Amino acid sequence: MNQPSEQSKNGRRILTGGRTAVWQARLVLLVMINVAQLWILSATIEAALAAHYKQLIPLVIGSGVCWLIALTIFLWWKPAVRRPLRPERRR
Amino acid sequence: MNSKYLNEQTVESVLAADREGTNELSDERNVQRATARYQAEFPYERDEESEVTRREFCNFLFLTSSALFLGSAGFASKLAYNSTIETTFTPSKIEGAETMQIGTALNFRYPGENDTAILIRAANGEFYAYEQQCTHLTCPVYYSKSSDQLECPCHEGGFDVHTGNVLYGPPPRPLDQIKLEIREGNEVWAVGRITGGGHESA
Repeated sequence: MNQPSEQSKNGRRILTGGRTAVWQARLVLLVMINVAQLWILSATIEAALAAHYKQLIPLVIGSGVCWLIALTIFLWWKPAVRRPLRPERRR
Repeated sequence: MNSKYLNEQTVESVLAADREGTNELSDERNVQRATARYQAEFPYERDEESEVTRREFCNFLFLTSSALFLGSAGFASKLAYNSTIETTFTPSKIEGAETMQIGTALNFRYPGENDTAILIRAANGEFYAYEQQCTHLTCPVYYSKSSDQLECPCHEGGFDVHTGNVLYGPPPRPLDQIKLEIREGNEVWAVGRITGGGHESA
């Protein structure tokens, strides 16, 4: 299994593997949110065409919550800046 | 066991050919070099694949999310707004109704020019009129003479021709009924609407 760190020139270890995992997780979450929003959009259209106007507000709120989650993932839930770990004590 | 052995042999042969530079299949580790003939037959641009970064894909997903939210909100707002507009129901003569035979239907527009409706002269000789929109997903309904009922071809919903009630299928409520009056002998007039489920407008 790959180690999530590598050795830099000055002997310090830097994190690498976690970034890829975080990127993958962001993309998977965004895809899932998009799928949920697609479902909500189709439910909204169906409710509107059937004149079930009372169902529209919860559906739009649900889509808005999904969008807010996507916004937080897009803006803030990012891989951390590479941070050098404390150098190992040399003998 | 045999297939596993074959798979290992195949992998070994591909790797050996890869080392010798005689691999005709492809080099899947480098998408730019995947140029085998069978790959050209698929409509899949590997050059373009390598140009889409994770960051761009992430941006695309977020934009899609925004578009879906705006779509839901916009669609719901427009239809909710339309439902608040009050419609006026001025009496209107239905042209051609006098000559209708039993078991026939006639399309007309009521209350507005964009509202299609259907007038039916049922097997009992009486006139019935309904908005021509299925209460499921607003597909146009039509009159089936053989079964003497209104049918929606989209999702196979059926309505009673005498009451507009749902007989079968997915429609959640009865059809909106058009109130009719017979004036001066045989003239048929549309004078109002009863929303499927009970609310009357005139």
